[in-house]
Amino acid sequence: MIGFLARRFATIPLVVLGVVTILFIIFKSVPGDEAAFVAGATATQSEIEAVRVQLGLDRPLVEQYARHVSGLVVGDFGYSTTFRGNPLPHIISRLPATLALAAAAIGLTILIGIPAGVVAAAYRNRLPDYLISLSVVGLLAIPNFWLGMLLIAWLSVDLGLLPSFGASGPASLVIPTLALAARLIALVARMTRGVVIEELRKDYVRTARAKGLSKGLALRRHVLRNVMIPTVTVIGLQAGYLLGGSVVVERLCAWPGIGDLLLTAVSVRDYTLVQGIVMIFVVSFLVINIAVEVLYRFVNPRLRYA
Amino acid sequence: MKRRQFLTGAAGAALISTLPTGAIRAWAQSASGVITFGQSTAVLTLDPAHGAFTGYPGGYEASLLLFDRLLDFDADMKIVPQLAESFAMSEDLKSCELKLRAGVTFHDGTPCDAAAIKFNIERMMNKDINTTNRPLWNPIAGADIVDDKTLVIRTSAPFAQLPNTLAHGSGAIVSPAAIQKSGEAGFAQNPVGAGPYMVEAFNAGQELKLKAFDGYWGDKPGASGVVFKFIAEPATRINAITTGAVDVIDSVPVQLVGQLGGNADVEVVRKPGLRPIGLAINLTRPALADVKVRKALNLAVPVATIAEKVFFGYAKAPDSPLAFDAIGHKTVGETVFDQAQAKSLLAEAGYKAGSDGILEKDGKKLTLSLYVPEGLFPGDVAVAEIVAASLKQVGVDAQITKIEKGAYWDHLRQDKANLAWDLGMFGFNPSNASGTYHLASLFKSNADDNTKPDVWNIGRYRNAEVDALLEKADSAPEEAARMDALGKAQELVWADAPYLWLQINENVSAVRKPVSGVTVMPIVFTNLRAARKA
Repeated sequence: MIGFLARRFATIPLVVLGVVTILFIIFKSVPGDEAAFVAGATATQSEIEAVRVQLGLDRPLVEQYARHVSGLVVGDFGYSTTFRGNPLPHIISRLPATLALAAAAIGLTILIGIPAGVVAAAYRNRLPDYLISLSVVGLLAIPNFWLGMLLIAWLSVDLGLLPSFGASGPASLVIPTLALAARLIALVARMTRGVVIEELRKDYVRTARAKGLSKGLALRRHVLRNVMIPTVTVIGLQAGYLLGGSVVVERLCAWPGIGDLLLTAVSVRDYTLVQGIVMIFVVSFLVINIAVEVLYRFVNPRLRYA
Repeated sequence: MKRRQFLTGAAGAALISTLPTGAIRAWAQSASGVITFGQSTAVLTLDPAHGAFTGYPGGYEASLLLFDRLLDFDADMKIVPQLAESFAMSEDLKSCELKLRAGVTFHDGTPCDAAAIKFNIERMMNKDINTTNRPLWNPIAGADIVDDKTLVIRTSAPFAQLPNTLAHGSGAIVSPAAIQKSGEAGFAQNPVGAGPYMVEAFNAGQELKLKAFDGYWGDKPGASGVVFKFIAEPATRINAITTGAVDVIDSVPVQLVGQLGGNADVEVVRKPGLRPIGLAINLTRPALADVKVRKALNLAVPVATIAEKVFFGYAKAPDSPLAFDAIGHKTVGETVFDQAQAKSLLAEAGYKAGSDGILEKDGKKLTLSLYVPEGLFPGDVAVAEIVAASLKQVGVDAQITKIEKGAYWDHLRQDKANLAWDLGMFGFNPSNASGTYHLASLFKSNADDNTKPDVWNIGRYRNAEVDALLEKADSAPEEAARMDALGKAQELVWADAPYLWLQINENVSAVRKPVSGVTVMPIVFTNLRAARKA
């Protein structure tokens, strides 16, 4: 296991370097003069040039790149015009809110999505299955920002049960979590249903039933174990995408996470901050992927000896 | 099975604990005496220097409560005293003597005396420290202390707008001791001023908590505290004020104002802005150098209808190159929609309809490239589409090019050789409310029309008479003479039609009872300085 982890983590710097390079190229080729933007709309050409020198944007691209990479190594993400300095502490301070939201969404997915899929499979082509499958299609089709708006309008404005925005207590987490988790719940439920149906047809289930286990018991004792393998994979893969989905939901709910900060950074054209946040997203994505692989080995003993 | 049951139970309990357990509305509602302001832009930095208050306008709105300035604008953009009890411009307009208020201290206890003001003026003069708002600060040459309560600010040339600079947001007076303590880099996150409210907690980009400053020299602040919360999404802001989670919101989209209409607790506050939107006309194109063509373009577009239909009446048609509340604004004309007259003017200019209905002259079609940004100005693309359709009705073919907003300024402000547009949507917001500053920024002849424009004369307008009048408007000793010159300049510019003038949008905010005293300034800002909460 340790060797596996070491190998996995060793690939991170390489991938990150690739991402850093691609990001650098993208940000250097987007239209708009960064120095002119920082200097403001009324700046004269000489003022813009002064800002350019101050930000080091007058240096050759190779030198800018080398400075950028060497800065990242020591945790210096560059000069963010928003925070007048290294944006890293500000990005890190936003991370817990985003992680809490993602964790809550994944938790909700496990609690609702998997049981819903199993129930739908167990009652295949009967009323519970139809209801669940219909809900799944609905949830997949609804964009999360629209669902979020509906939830705010209903739970917060009409019923007054929940705060309509911000992070002012655990209750604030409910609406963004529902909005973010809806699609994932539907995905997991649909996939679980498919896998369970497939497993139920297999020989070991027939054997279990033949030795006298009830259908429910066979399902719980034997089928679920095998269903976990693909389910963990899907939830794990989607967890990375939750970070991206949280951008929209965080903005809608004014949730003080990293996605909200990303949109702010874009709106004030703080390239350094955008780059820093994308970096954090990338690293989080990679770490999540490794975590999924570790988890995978727990639920699938066959891999442990591979 | 036991373990499994336990896990199920634990998960259930965890879920239930996240659910509401009673008086949740109380959480959402702001504390009594504290005003909560849901802002459309985040407060990021609070330093008049180093790029000024960001984001715009959120940072400026917070600065209005945190900092006092030497002078202030009242609701009608008239200049009134603040930290200075009085001021007097010299005869030659090259200096201004200010009498300072006695006994004023900053939030950290430092006295706000002549030495502190001198420190501030010199700090803002320094180009390395203060990188933005340079046109407002460049003319200032220095500050001299006469005595503890008297200060003279000198300019290198006659500068009638000096009081406007001092009243501008960037004229916020900061505590020299706090700069010393936090350093030039750290002040923006640890601001200390002499305003009615002081910082209690600041989390840049999320929330700024202010509390009333007990030692304030003026009237006692109307609330025990003010909290600025960043809520970017308009629908979320409206929901927040509907539920009472916030007391004030800004930037209500005109199409959503209706949602607040039925709510007796919420009052909509509106004020026309200082930024007239228009299409800059590229005068380097031969066809557009003809004033008849430019006038015809203006006659062909139903601006009043745009204001009424696109902006639901929350916009007005202009009557001058300046917005209604700009200092020195004069009504010099009216926006007329008369396509028949537009057609006859175009015919006079020598244009005849071709086989496809598009006008042509000497075999060249009157095809114009219309540049418009996406999301930079209110309803920008929708307005451009209406303009293009209207121009088509008089035989002018306007082709819309949409530009990503980050790159838009680069396209507008170009060398003459690289000007790709014939019509470019633009709006200038004179942050010091000065009409002279506005008109000079847009219509003063460029030193060299071939290079990038000096300021924002992007269409290369050139009228020696206007230049002379603007010079006079800036430097005549008598205010009446300055305003008279500015009025004449507006008449000339309006008659020359270097723009296709469009609408002037209103700034719309909303306030929830029992909060009162919130004003919306023509320059975008929602001002809570005089706000009260019972």
